[in-house]
Amino acid sequence: MSSVIWYLYEFGRKVWVKGFFNGKTSKEIMEKPDRFRDFPKVLKKNCIGCGACTSSCPSPNAIKLIRDMDDKDHHGITYPVINKGACIRCGFCAEICPSEPKTLECGENHFITEKFNIVPSKRKFIVDDFLCIVCGKCRDACNVNAIEEINNRFRVNEKKCVACGDCLKSCPVKGAMKGIFINNLEEQKTIIKLIVDRLESFIENKKEELDKLDNLSLVKIQYPLSELWDEIIAILPDEEVAYEVTENAINRLKIRVMTWNEDNCKLCKLCVDECPTGAITYNEEDNRVKHDKNKCLRCSYCYQTCPFGVVKYFVVKFLVENNEENNNDKDINEIVKNKVIGITIKTSPLSAYLSD
Amino acid sequence: MFQSLKNIVRKSSIHVCIVNCGGCNGCDVELVALFSPRYDIEQYGIYIHNNPREADVLLITGAVTEQWIHNIKRVYSKVPEPKIVVCVGNCPISGDVFNQEGGTVHAPVSNFIPVAAEISGCPPRPSEILNAILSTGPGAISNRGRERK
Repeated sequence: MSSVIWYLYEFGRKVWVKGFFNGKTSKEIMEKPDRFRDFPKVLKKNCIGCGACTSSCPSPNAIKLIRDMDDKDHHGITYPVINKGACIRCGFCAEICPSEPKTLECGENHFITEKFNIVPSKRKFIVDDFLCIVCGKCRDACNVNAIEEINNRFRVNEKKCVACGDCLKSCPVKGAMKGIFINNLEEQKTIIKLIVDRLESFIENKKEELDKLDNLSLVKIQYPLSELWDEIIAILPDEEVAYEVTENAINRLKIRVMTWNEDNCKLCKLCVDECPTGAITYNEEDNRVKHDKNKCLRCSYCYQTCPFGVVKYFVVKFLVENNEENNNDKDINEIVKNKVIGITIKTSPLSAYLSD
Repeated sequence: MFQSLKNIVRKSSIHVCIVNCGGCNGCDVELVALFSPRYDIEQYGIYIHNNPREADVLLITGAVTEQWIHNIKRVYSKVPEPKIVVCVGNCPISGDVFNQEGGTVHAPVSNFIPVAAEISGCPPRPSEILNAILSTGPGAISNRGRERK
């Protein structure tokens, strides 16, 4: 009996009767609720053009930074454009956007005041305290105030850094602000070792030119970078990283080269006792003094000791230069083809004292 | 006379077949929500079939994977005329997050079959899908029906 009353009550309700005769979805269900995170809204005039939104975006084609044409009075403004066909409405771009007020608005997450960094960057920015002259230009250039001054020293706050690289451009001292690649340190070491080995053997093979060298003149030779490039790419496939590591390593490289001319040796064995690592040995069987390159420290003791000029000692510096002048290529492989390593060789400064 | 009668019938009852050509299933879940009582797609005369031979509209989700390049054309050829294709979600439009450098996704779908409408979103809301089907579906089908072959 009670269930019959319940049925009468349930089916007698106005809502039910209305729904039974007019079975349409109600309008409120079809509308997007306020909390719904829709496609990002772009406010062009706030954009600082840092590119943080593009690098935080998980979808490859969703955001592009666009720059308007310049007119007579103003530079064209830079701003992001959202491709709705690729945007996944995750709102990362709005969260990362460092401009104040925001250039991108998407959902409500970016109104959270506590900021955190989700930029997947290959670089980590570090201030080298030894080279930094504390001029503060990087701090002024930083759009997100990621560079802080602590005890008269600058430090990059990784939680705020968006890896835009503006500090790198503004730094007046070469090498004081570093954007290092942190993901493949082992490969970078192998590359530098490969470069040093190759260049050293290349220089040692240029005997004729080294023999002519006196303590006033320099020898300049060139070595095409493309000969090393294939091996470098085999070690580290990321061309952009590989090229920058190679160029930095070569430009900073300063090596000492020893040549060992056995024809002049008179077997006085003075050098054998002088060598601190035991790299020079006397072999009684074939009556020769041998120099082991892998043990050698390039300390120049043997060079200073030898009275017969068996050992020669050179200081070599390197610089990556352009082979042809007009070089507008953007592809790294094309750039590498045009680059040569300029090698400058001079005798060690000791030679001036020894020859007197 | 007969043609206009056919158009009226086509407008009021649309038969739909869902094809997932290699996506994450997110869009398919949103499509399933359309059949639920909350959105109730059948009140608009839209019916779902698993068989393309019964369908007027192909709803495509997913970024075309290698195996689907051939099959998507086969499925399309089995739909009786007049037929239209609607892309649901970003994957068939641009490949979305799957279209990474070095990936093996063959988006967009429009490279393989003609597409009439695109619904962007990852995934789109059920109401967005419903709006798109209702605004393009009936008109497009009756227009295709008037084409002379």
